Order: sequence, then structure tokens, then C-alpha cells
Amino acid sequence: MRKLLDFLISKRHWLLFLLLEVISFMLVYRNNAYQQSVMFSTANVVTANIVSVAGSVSSYLNLREKNRDLIERNGELEIELLRLQRQVETMIADTTSFRSFISVDSTRQFPYKVMPAKVVNNSVAYLTNYITIDRGRVDGVVPDMGVVSEGGVVGIISNVGEHFSVVIPILNPKFRLSCKVLGSSYFGSMSWDGRKTQYAKLDELPRHVEFNVGDTVVTSGFSTIFPEGILVGTVSTFEKQRDDNFYSLTVKLTTDFHNLGSVMVIKNYYQDEQKRIEQEAKGNG
Amino acid sequence: MVNTIRGIIYFVVLVLVQVLILNNIHFLRIITPFLYIYFTIKLPVGYSSIQVTFLSFLLGLAIDILSNTPGMHAAACTLAGFARPSIINIFRGEDLPDNISPSHHTFGYGGFIRYTGAIVILHHVSLFLIESLTLFDPLFLTIRIVGGVVATTLLICIVEAFNRETKRSGE
Repeated sequence: MRKLLDFLISKRHWLLFLLLEVISFMLVYRNNAYQQSVMFSTANVVTANIVSVAGSVSSYLNLREKNRDLIERNGELEIELLRLQRQVETMIADTTSFRSFISVDSTRQFPYKVMPAKVVNNSVAYLTNYITIDRGRVDGVVPDMGVVSEGGVVGIISNVGEHFSVVIPILNPKFRLSCKVLGSSYFGSMSWDGRKTQYAKLDELPRHVEFNVGDTVVTSGFSTIFPEGILVGTVSTFEKQRDDNFYSLTVKLTTDFHNLGSVMVIKNYYQDEQKRIEQEAKGNG
Repeated sequence: MVNTIRGIIYFVVLVLVQVLILNNIHFLRIITPFLYIYFTIKLPVGYSSIQVTFLSFLLGLAIDILSNTPGMHAAACTLAGFARPSIINIFRGEDLPDNISPSHHTFGYGGFIRYTGAIVILHHVSLFLIESLTLFDPLFLTIRIVGGVVATTLLICIVEAFNRETKRSGE
């Protein structure tokens, strides 16, 4: 008996080793579930504050590029504004069609609102990457909101802390996004293969869709997360999939994940309603 | 007591350097050095297997929490810490006083590099294997492991060469 106890005591470092490894792997596997724990992520207030200090320092380092991007974006928006103004003017001139427009509630037409946020932590080197932003529950952020930057789609909110949230970017195997080639309404599913950070795959696009290398890929608007027509990337190469009914496209992403500073969180007023109805429909079927 | 304070300082500084600076380095877009394992390497020789394993686990957990990778670094560090006493035995025998830290003075240049290399390889192989549970691609995985091991070992040797504290406490 005493020998057995001695044996166990002499091997107690093995027991500790096994215990700690089991804890680690439990964390690894729990993290693979869609909703990870807020405690063990950068949405936690303490850790988020550490990384946000670092983020605020590094955000000064690329102000020049950010400024240039903003000026460009500003220019684009100004042109868009002019275009819309002209459209409104023609509508006013053509009063008969204008009447029918004005009675419609403006949020009914476009149920999305954007909220600016700053990236405080960002990773691109892993196979599963995450981004932390400085907006949380108190700012009205909830899981499943979309996040875009001036370059295009960034990702989807997964965890929300009090003041910070974690975003699952395109550069994460958990990320799926319904996309289409601009000009057609056939959609495919976008995912990342873990290789280069500038490219992602668009699968399940029907064979008869016509497109060329260099065409723009945008969101399809079929999910409740992103509105239709947000820029994702451009077609880089494409190939037929083995079963020959679908195309598989390599898309060059327009968002530069190595250089993310400010992003925008998209809120959809009707997300809950749409989800609920879809759930009901599934229940009935 | 001195060892404890020194350990805490090493821990905090290495975790912050790793999370704030090195995690943002992606040489050729694939290689990121993991300098923080230097903490496990520098723990005094006399620490028992239990102490080294547990401290390494805490180190990995701290890195995990700050870089959104729950469990991965903790698992890899626990393995590296657990294997450390055996690795020291293989490369240096048991004729060492308890209170010294492994360094190029106590282990000799070749010995220290071999010892560091063994721990870094163990750590990186387990880390990248755990990470690639989601997506498996042997060639890419090998490139990442080899690149990472070279970068980390090189960085640890550089830090060791500039570590003034090693000179003072070296025998």
C-alpha cells in the first residue's frame, strides 16, 4: 500500500501535466463552438484595455495612409451624392412618379444604420483570426451584426463585451458569406482557405453564370447581416468544381486586413423580425 | 525570493512583448516568432517538474487570452514545460547547482542552443498541430513550423546575447 502511494506521489507531475493538457484542449474545443466565452477573449474588459492602448499607439503610425484612403472615399461619396441629387431633381421634375415615393417611410426603404468603431486588436497570421473593436453592448452592438471598412466587407460580430466586441473576419474558417458577381443575381458561398490573406474562395456559383476575370464580387443581401451590394473583392481566377455543376472562384479581397484602422458596424433594424419569421417557416415545414 | 521576482518580471515583460509587438510580425506573411517561450527556458534548473509545468501553463494561458486563441498556446507550453527537465538531463546531465538559470554561461554556447532548439521545436510542433486541427495541409504546415522554429530560436539567441542579467548571475 505504501509503495503504491509512493509511486503515485513520485508520478504526480504526470497527473498535473495531464490535467493541464485536458484543460487546454477543453478551451480549444469550446472555442470552436460559434459562441466562445467572453472571459477568455479580448472582449474581456481587462485584456481589451491592454490591447486598446497598443491599438491607439499603432493607429498613429499609419495616419498618413488612413488620411489618403479617407480622402479618396470622401471623393467617391461626393460623386455619389451628386448622382443622387440629380436623380432627385429628375424625380421632382417628373412629379407624377415622385408622389408615390414620398409617402414611403425612409427607414422602410433602407433599414440599415452604421456606427463607426476603431480596431484595437487584429490578427492575420493564424488559421483562425479575430479582430477586436472598441464598441460593445453599451453602444448597442449585438452578435451577428456586420462589420465593413472603407475597403469592403470585414466580418461579423461574434462576442460582445460591455465596451468591446470580437469580430470574426473573412480570414476565419468559421466565416461564411453569401456573395454574387455584380450584375447577376446568382449567389455563392464565400469562405477562406487559410492561405493568403488577400484571397478568398467563392464556391457553389452555378455554371451558367457569365462573368470575367476582374469582375466585382458583392454581398447578395440574402443574409440579414449585410445589405445587398457591399464590395467584397474582384474575381481573380476561376475553375470548375469536380462535380461540374458549379464554379469555384478565387476572389481578391478589397479589404486590406494588414492595415485595418477604423471600421463600421452595420445595424439592421429588421434582423430580428426576419430571423424569427424564417425560424417559424422552418418550424412549420 | 530573487528568483521569484525575476520570474514575475520575465513573465510580464515577455507576455507584453509577445502580444503587443511580436504577434503583429508576419515575416513573409507566414512566420511569427514566439519569444515568450524564453520564460520557460530561463526558469531556474532546480524548479521541480510540477512547478515548471504549471508556470508554463499559466504563461500559455496569458498569451491565449490576449491573442484570442483559447487553449492552443496553453497546451503547447504545458508540453514544453513538462518535457524541460528531461531535456536538461539529456543535454547537460544532472551535475548542475539548483539555483542557476540555463544560459550560455552555465550550459556553454552549443549546449544552450541545443537545449533551446529542442524546447522550441517541441513547442512549435505541438502549437501548429493543434492550430491546424481545423485546416490540414502538410506542406504549408511544415513550412510554418520550420520557419517559426528558426525565427524563434534566432530571436532567443539574440535576446540571450544581450541579456546583461545573465552576465551578472553567470557562474
